[in-house]
Amino acid sequence: MDPALLVQMLIGALLGISVYLPLATGQLTLATPAFYAVGGTLAALLSTRWPVLGARIDGSFPLPSFLLELALGGALAGLLALLVGRIVLRLQGIYLAIATIALVEIVRVAILNLPFTGGAVGIFGIPQPFPSAAGYLLPALALLLLAGWVCQRLEVMALGRAMAAVREDELAARCMGIDTTQVKLTAFVMSAVLAGGTGVLAAHFLNTWNARQGSFDSAVIMLAFVILGGSRSWLGPVLGGLVLTALPELLRPVGDARLVLFGLVILSGPALFPQGLVTPGLLERLGRLGDPAGRPGAEGSRP
Amino acid sequence: MTVDPRLAPTGGSAASPLLELDALSCRFGGLVALDQVSFAVQQGEIFGLIGPNGAGKTTLFNLISGLTPASGGQVRWRGEPIGGLGPERINRLGIARTFQNLRLFDSLTLRENVLVGLHRETRAPLVEALSGNAGFRARQAALERRAGELLALFGLDARADDSAANLSYGDRRRLEIARALATGPALLLLDEPAAGMNPAEKDELCALIDRLREQFQLTVLIIEHHVPLMMRLCDRLAVLNFGRRIALGSPEHVRHDPAVIEAYLGGQASAAGERR
Repeated sequence: MDPALLVQMLIGALLGISVYLPLATGQLTLATPAFYAVGGTLAALLSTRWPVLGARIDGSFPLPSFLLELALGGALAGLLALLVGRIVLRLQGIYLAIATIALVEIVRVAILNLPFTGGAVGIFGIPQPFPSAAGYLLPALALLLLAGWVCQRLEVMALGRAMAAVREDELAARCMGIDTTQVKLTAFVMSAVLAGGTGVLAAHFLNTWNARQGSFDSAVIMLAFVILGGSRSWLGPVLGGLVLTALPELLRPVGDARLVLFGLVILSGPALFPQGLVTPGLLERLGRLGDPAGRPGAEGSRP
Repeated sequence: MTVDPRLAPTGGSAASPLLELDALSCRFGGLVALDQVSFAVQQGEIFGLIGPNGAGKTTLFNLISGLTPASGGQVRWRGEPIGGLGPERINRLGIARTFQNLRLFDSLTLRENVLVGLHRETRAPLVEALSGNAGFRARQAALERRAGELLALFGLDARADDSAANLSYGDRRRLEIARALATGPALLLLDEPAAGMNPAEKDELCALIDRLREQFQLTVLIIEHHVPLMMRLCDRLAVLNFGRRIALGSPEHVRHDPAVIEAYLGGQASAAGERR
């Protein structure tokens, strides 16, 4: 398979987890593209405008500077989430979704109109920390493993259980002494940090960056990752992100019909698998396969 | 870990009751759900709240636990006003509750439901939790044991790894009490804990509540429709009718209060009762 497509699939999986994290507390936010755009724009600006980072004339870029950008992109997106989350997380359900769509629009219009972000053309010639697309596989995979590991640990941590409690019944969770605002905000910030870091990676990988990278359309696609994959485990959005990113490319031979087919998959997914592809039941069966003693309640087989 | 706020000294004097309601009122638009209700619950007692449907019992619980703001009056906890605090703050002060219309975390297992209640003790340092090192695992094992013990009190330990959604109605009620107890309360608010249980189960629950009071040094405020059970279980009772407290005192006193008899049986029947 084309390494460039693989990197795109991994980016899709990362963004899927970013949408999943707030959803794991029962909050439907579509803000991921905004944080993705913030991370990407930051990386594009820093690497092309800030000589200290060491972009060379041949278009290469030092790896430590790339890692620094990853950290900065994640931190900036996280900070923005902290500020915005305090306000928008007071909303619930569809109102929260609409408020986060507004955030995506605000970020998009800001990037389009700021004097230093290159307008509609955007920023191009972003230097490359890796000589080829295949080089991006490693950081993308590392980021995915890191995100997956954190999600997996959450399952046995107090925070993860609090997130599940808020998702199940926020009022009962509050009566158990859980600061549900704090829990929701934490998930929102984690989601933003991941999207911001992914944006940094994507900016270098794509070589150009503009305001179209974080749009409402992409929010809908990212939500489809979670809906098709399933929202009860972080493996769901990963699977959804991988499949739905690969599909339009794999369907390229059928020409214009590919968009129709893509639409059909998105439509039929929830109809055939209402809980998504990765369901608690599936995980339990997988857990039993991996653990011959079949200890229910053990780490891997948690429903 | 910070100092448990329940162990920290409070401003109230030693003589002040654990929970004190002072002319508590609650209006929803034109409807007066609670009208100047006052009573005090002493440390260690089982205090019953009875009254016909719609008398305002659950509203009173919602006010105490911080879910509904009061329209007037004050709730005092160990002498300190707690009106206006959110439910999470109130729980941390040591007041836990169950719900009349059960609010379990259905997709979690029984054990996880109780672990959510134990969440203040489950806070491990982040590095420890992420790495899952020996310290974290030991802490985790201790917590799971605690959760198991709490479930065992209610005879639910054998099903600890079942999903809460699969429980029978009576067991769901028991799990809610276990989960509330896990938050380490000094005062437990039970909203119709025996609803949907058969008479034998009701007796069992009655004995269990009494035992829990001993074991956890609990004070219990309980709403229940089954009057004979309440007469047996409670040290004192308050009777609500149309949002007003119409009687207060020992079961014996409340049983013979004419206002109570009238509220429950109507004016005609109360006359008949006197003839008997």
